[in-house]
Amino acid sequence: MSEIVERKSVPLWIQIIVWVLLAGLLVLVGSTLSKRQQGSIRPGDTIPDFSLTLFSGYEFEGKSEVRLSDFAGKIVVLNFWASWCKPCEQEAAELEEAWKFYNGDVMFLGADYVDTEPEARTYLKKFQITYPNGPDLRTQLSQMFRIRGVPETYFIDQQGVLYYVKVGPFLSLDEIKSIIEQKLQ
Amino acid sequence: MLAEFGYGVLVVSFLVTVYSGVAAFFGVRKNSASLIESARRAQLLTFPLITVSSFVLIYLLVNNHFEVSFAYEVTSRSMPTYLKITAWWGGQAGSLLFWSWLLAAFTSLVTLRKWDRDIEFLPWVIVVSAITLAFFLFMIIFHENPFTRYWLVAGNVVESMFKPTVEATIFTPENGRGLNPLLRHPGMIIHPPMLYLGFVSYVIPYSFAIAALITGRTDDRWTRITRRWSLWAWLFLSFGLVLGGRWAYDVLGWGGYWGWDPVEIAAFMPWLTGTAFLHSVMIQEKRGMLKQWNMVLIILTYALVIFGTFLTRSGVLSSVHSFANSPIGPFFMGFVTLTLVVSVYLLIRRWNDLRSETEMKSMLSREALFLLNNLLFIGILVVCFWGVIYPLISELATGFKVTVGPPYYERATGPLFAGLLFLMAVAPFSAWGHSTLQTLGKAIWKSTLASFVLTIILFFTYTQNLYAIIGFFLVALAIFSTLHEFWRGTIARQKTQNENFFTALSNLMMRNRRRYGGYIIHISMALMAIGILGIELFQKETQGTVAAGEALNVGNYTVEYRELASWDVPSDDVNYTRAVLDIYENGIYLGQLYPRIDYFYDAEQTMTIPGQRSTFRDDLYILLVDWQPASNTGATFKIYVNPLVNWLWIGSLLFLLGIIFAAWPDKELEPVKVKPSAQQTSAAD
Repeated sequence: MSEIVERKSVPLWIQIIVWVLLAGLLVLVGSTLSKRQQGSIRPGDTIPDFSLTLFSGYEFEGKSEVRLSDFAGKIVVLNFWASWCKPCEQEAAELEEAWKFYNGDVMFLGADYVDTEPEARTYLKKFQITYPNGPDLRTQLSQMFRIRGVPETYFIDQQGVLYYVKVGPFLSLDEIKSIIEQKLQ
Repeated sequence: MLAEFGYGVLVVSFLVTVYSGVAAFFGVRKNSASLIESARRAQLLTFPLITVSSFVLIYLLVNNHFEVSFAYEVTSRSMPTYLKITAWWGGQAGSLLFWSWLLAAFTSLVTLRKWDRDIEFLPWVIVVSAITLAFFLFMIIFHENPFTRYWLVAGNVVESMFKPTVEATIFTPENGRGLNPLLRHPGMIIHPPMLYLGFVSYVIPYSFAIAALITGRTDDRWTRITRRWSLWAWLFLSFGLVLGGRWAYDVLGWGGYWGWDPVEIAAFMPWLTGTAFLHSVMIQEKRGMLKQWNMVLIILTYALVIFGTFLTRSGVLSSVHSFANSPIGPFFMGFVTLTLVVSVYLLIRRWNDLRSETEMKSMLSREALFLLNNLLFIGILVVCFWGVIYPLISELATGFKVTVGPPYYERATGPLFAGLLFLMAVAPFSAWGHSTLQTLGKAIWKSTLASFVLTIILFFTYTQNLYAIIGFFLVALAIFSTLHEFWRGTIARQKTQNENFFTALSNLMMRNRRRYGGYIIHISMALMAIGILGIELFQKETQGTVAAGEALNVGNYTVEYRELASWDVPSDDVNYTRAVLDIYENGIYLGQLYPRIDYFYDAEQTMTIPGQRSTFRDDLYILLVDWQPASNTGATFKIYVNPLVNWLWIGSLLFLLGIIFAAWPDKELEPVKVKPSAQQTSAAD
């Protein structure tokens, strides 16, 4: 417990350790920060390929995991939602209608943000949703898109470029259609 | 016009702050008392300037000036005036201004004190606080300006401080988005300012510590000057944390009070080092020991304040509290780096001047036990820090973020908290310099026996859970031995001063405020531990969908669903959905509860209001999760029974009383000669 009383300054090796630890911490935090800074996705950005694991019963052509690259040449509508999110309920039926309307020409994907599976299933059943849906595991997708909340919807064009972001619920089926029509030849 | 004025004043206060820092620095260098005096006056000017700017912002908020983007983001027409005022700290830009305002207030207060004996500290205190204030003002002025407005330029809405083009016109949205409804709660109105008060108050002890390091005046003068500051800082920080817990319990709707969320931890970490500092600084004052350690602790506390603020505001850590992606990150990073590098450099340079005057002689002496207490606090800090930083490391190393959850924190900190409870019981009985097991045992055996008896009773009547039994034993030990300490002191005083019991008790406490305030805090901590043990170990929950007339059971309670109604209140811009439930315990009717969901149209957000029935034994806490809108026949509820949780809030209240008692400014009293009958007592103050 007692401190040794000697007329010496802090040993060099301790000084080095302290500075190295400090530098390490700062580098760690700084690199994370720089990733966050550039991480935000804006319309015009090319979306890097991502994968979404799907709930059983909501698979796509029998596959339990889909990738963005699977849908090259198609418009992809990526909707973030959660069963606890009341505004999500406003647009749930409209999204399903839009999915049926385009009949597979436009890909709809639902990413369930921070949720539990039983509640999510109840929600999907309640609104009779049929397009592929899955949990946003480890919140990887929401981090990649830096969503601010749910619902948020990302429209990705045939070339994999994000062209529209909708924050908050859609008010009507027409609103969804009009955004899709912009890029649908 | 008004927005430009507010912004202009802010720019002026920034320049004044920079001047005061520079003048103080050169005043020291050139040994010019007049330059230092000029710096001091400039410093005093910052407070009124920032006050004016803040008033302008509040005026804009209160009067629906939605052309100002900050007002648009945090207020709406339906909000009452008091909420519009508190929206000041409801968003990033405003809260930075609020922070600067507090900082200016505190530094002004401290520069107004009498400096005659400590004049060499003055310029450095000004330099440190001016750098901090200038940094915050810089961020507001250049990156998070609360006064920017919306402009209409060729059909597009542009956000800008000044008129972007000649033909641009001001654009005023019809209504604002409104404060996040979760924040429209009394607890939330005072929780952030309390935390900010705590954070900002730590700037003062830190700047004195740095002044001591720079000037080389490393005796305990700096700790004596800042003693009360660090106590008040700790009070505000504690108050902020407690309020946050209560708010979470009432509003967030998960039946919890503490979620080990990164932002909570970011506020908790400086509290840990601050608490350790409060204890170890006593050793420096009494024994001239641990000077290096105290320096480390105060620097750590301030660094954690800044670091925590940075982590949560820059978007580096995501959480329910996080502010949106913000441009201030790199600047904050620079400031954090500057703070850490300068502090560590100064500390290493002065390390040997900070050596202890005496050595530790006994492992059971009070200073040894205090040091052990410090190690436990640092242990908890390490656990927290690792939990916060680990996701960053995992992301860097593996590419995805692995976060650690509450179980990690609970398991890792549980034994450390138990150790602290035990020390709380034992340490007050140990003496400075030297104690033996015999003297300690003699002082504590009665409390130990009483705790044993109580624990055995609890074992047969309440719980057989091992963790709970250990926990309750330690709680009982801490409470009994602290009460015993009050008793001993009072009896001793009664004998020597010939006073009756209550006069003796009140005199005893009034003359040793810090010590007895500390004991009250110890008791309150033990009470809070009861609540925490209750909710962590015995919480029961159930969830189910029921039709009208059906019931759910949890514990001894039966909850019967009666009816549900949903209606709009246009004046508040809110839709309320309220369920009516009959509550029975063991078949006996207790009354009704009304869990609610409020939907705020302006913010497009819901808020869950639980139905609560609170007793000393347990809380029944019911959430309305969902309902069938069409038929109104079924609804889903989540029900928690939270045993003993009320003790957490009772403890919190007592805790606040204890700190206020300890920190209250007192008149200089003449020392009273009390010769305690118990030879091992010694004042902690």
